[in-house]
Amino acid sequence: MDPLATRRVHMLVRVAFVWAALIAARLIQLQVVQHSQYAQLARDQQEKLEEIKAPRGAILDRYGQRLAMSLPAESVVVDPLRVPNLSLTAEVLANILNLNARDLLADLQAAVDNRRGFLWVKRKITRQEANRLRALNLEWIEFRTESQRYYPNRSLAAHVIGSVDFQEDGNGGVEQSLNQELQGHAGEMLVTEDVQKRGFASSIQQQPQPGQDVRLTIDSRIQFVAEQELAKMVALHHAKSGSLVAMDPRSGDILAMANVPTFDPNEPPKPGGIAARENLAVSAPFEPGSVYKVITLSSALETTRLRPESMINCGNGSINLFGRIIHDHSRYAALSMADVLARSSNIGAINIGLQVGDRNLYEYVRKFGFGKKTGLPLPGESGGMVRPLRRWEKTSLGSVAMGHEIGVTALQLAQACTVIASGGFLVRPRLRLDAPVVPPVRVLRPETAITMRGMMEGVVLKPYGTGHKYARLLGYTSAGKTGTAQIYDYKMRQYTHMYNASFMGFAPVTNPRIVIVVTINGTEGTAGYGGPTSAPVFREVAAAGLREMDVPKDLPEMVPSEGSEQADENDVAIADVGSSIPHPLVQAEDAVAADDRPVASANKALGQRVLLARNGNSQHDLDGPRVPDFQGQSVRSVIQRAAALGIPVEFTGSGVARAQAPVPGAILPSGSWVRVQFGR
Amino acid sequence: MATLATIMDRFTAANSAAADCSRTRVLEDADPFEVPRFPNEDVYFYVKHIDNSHVLREVDPGARKTCWRLIGSSFTFAVLVIGLLLPSVNRMMAGYRMEALRQERQRLELDRASLELAETKLVSPARLEELARIQRFVDPAPEAVVYLDANKSDAILAKK
Repeated sequence: MDPLATRRVHMLVRVAFVWAALIAARLIQLQVVQHSQYAQLARDQQEKLEEIKAPRGAILDRYGQRLAMSLPAESVVVDPLRVPNLSLTAEVLANILNLNARDLLADLQAAVDNRRGFLWVKRKITRQEANRLRALNLEWIEFRTESQRYYPNRSLAAHVIGSVDFQEDGNGGVEQSLNQELQGHAGEMLVTEDVQKRGFASSIQQQPQPGQDVRLTIDSRIQFVAEQELAKMVALHHAKSGSLVAMDPRSGDILAMANVPTFDPNEPPKPGGIAARENLAVSAPFEPGSVYKVITLSSALETTRLRPESMINCGNGSINLFGRIIHDHSRYAALSMADVLARSSNIGAINIGLQVGDRNLYEYVRKFGFGKKTGLPLPGESGGMVRPLRRWEKTSLGSVAMGHEIGVTALQLAQACTVIASGGFLVRPRLRLDAPVVPPVRVLRPETAITMRGMMEGVVLKPYGTGHKYARLLGYTSAGKTGTAQIYDYKMRQYTHMYNASFMGFAPVTNPRIVIVVTINGTEGTAGYGGPTSAPVFREVAAAGLREMDVPKDLPEMVPSEGSEQADENDVAIADVGSSIPHPLVQAEDAVAADDRPVASANKALGQRVLLARNGNSQHDLDGPRVPDFQGQSVRSVIQRAAALGIPVEFTGSGVARAQAPVPGAILPSGSWVRVQFGR
Repeated sequence: MATLATIMDRFTAANSAAADCSRTRVLEDADPFEVPRFPNEDVYFYVKHIDNSHVLREVDPGARKTCWRLIGSSFTFAVLVIGLLLPSVNRMMAGYRMEALRQERQRLELDRASLELAETKLVSPARLEELARIQRFVDPAPEAVVYLDANKSDAILAKK
């Protein structure tokens, strides 16, 4: 071979070798020395860490109906530093997203001035808005998936469910108290993308943990009726607020919990609208008034020898209690214990309380669950206010006996009512359907509970009962107690003439399936008593509840007669018993009590005038041998009453009078009998 | 003229003396077939008459075997390459499909949630109450409601 050519070839080989060596060196630098750096760059470019949303758990009612649920929602983000024309961008985005273009432009400009490459344009937009934005196909518009909480029934059970803030953290109701369970934990997924940003491989880095669904004991149908009826009555009486608790006395399930005013949890809180978000049924203690006589009489049946037919001295409408004169709303010389409850005599209740004694009464107040929280998973629950026995004054016994000097919540009252309805057991309320039922605690003997049921039924059945006109159900027996308590004015430090009108009852009497407590706050006048105000709400909600639960009727369905006697609807528990101790709901101590007396006495005198005027209308006006209403009365009462009127009576069955013929109010022909059917 | 050959010759100038002598010797020999040289170039072209009309192709018995071996090895190589690449390609295609399905699932879940929300709104007590009011429905009596089980006797009862 030509040596010259050989040299050339050798030269070429050397050059090629050097070239290859350089390439190899560069490759080693790129792939070995700087491997991690370039691998990271490649990963940044090709791989994307996507968040796997863990939706917040839904809240369901006892039948699985959704009360709250979460849906994914997209939010719009832009990088203002990449936006080509700020004003045009603001115009376009504002038009699609229904925003103010000027404000958006200002935000964009501020972000550019501050060299910020991230700006939320609008969060949680609709799908239509997202589709319109996607159609623009602009690379500097980014979508972030978030979650939006929906309450499809709007204000239904709003106080129980609560609401969430923008980050989907609960800020009220079970949304707050069960936030840990409801809130899911988002996962992460690594997605590998091609040059067109299409993912072609993915691996889950962290498994998402979706929030758990929470099933409540609430029955949305009963809840709906409860809210409707409560709102109707609050509006009718121009009251300030109202609360209702409906409970199953067998399991403690809260079937409905309603408050007025209410709110729509879909809407963010408005200034001044926070008060409407307060769950008054669990967080606002109030003086219960006459409904509390149920507790007093129950403790009397347990600790004394008093029976329903025992005659109680009612002092002709007044009593001197340790130097203080207390007046009743109506004048009674003496009433049977059952009638003390039916007519809601304050003096009778005080005298019964005196026989029970402060120690026993306090013990039963505690046994019935007052003064401590029920333990429902609701934020802000109040335990009520029960003054320790050592701080009771001489007149405290009288006050507590008729439901004053004590603060209770509607929920506590419902819990206490289950003691009567469940045959003597205190049943803990339950709001979660999957929560274990707390073993009930016996508070009353079964016979005491049954006796109390009968006496409470008398409040509804007896024509003079305070709940006779308003709490009777078609086709069902019912029992209850009305209550009208004066409201204490914390600023003026005196009782006002506004009332807390309450009704506490259950149905059916023999095998109660529903316990309902209704409290309407801020009623006025005679129409604002517990009977005409709260008892109709009980009647409507109980009827709807029993129908929804398909409870068999225990009475023939007939229109109840109003009876010939005028029902005594006035059951105001005269709050001012001249006690020197301050109001139990006031934190300040003794200093102001003495100053309050003149004002309170004046109010009391005014109240008496009103009450005496009403008494004039409540007198019997029998005109000849009319048939009285025996319904709800025991055999002995019927015999006594019939004998007093000279009416012959024929009996069948045992228990209390359920039906009679002729109907009450009819004139009995000479030689005829009144047939009365008794039943349990 | 600056051709690659002259450039390389400059690098190899030290050893060029002997080459120059031989070249001179060649140039000095008159050659009738020599093409006139280009100026300043040491590239020479010759025209040579070749008559291949009498050339016969020799039959190579091993050529066929070599050819088949080449075809076989190429096929094997192709199969190996495809066999090695196919799973990766398949995996990538499946990845695309999976990602598409994942997005489809997300969309369907969103649709389902939206439908559940719509359903809940439709059966809300407030709406049912309003519909019942419009239709003038009345509440059934408690014992008047009959719940049918999915058994034969109830089905017959329902038909009646």
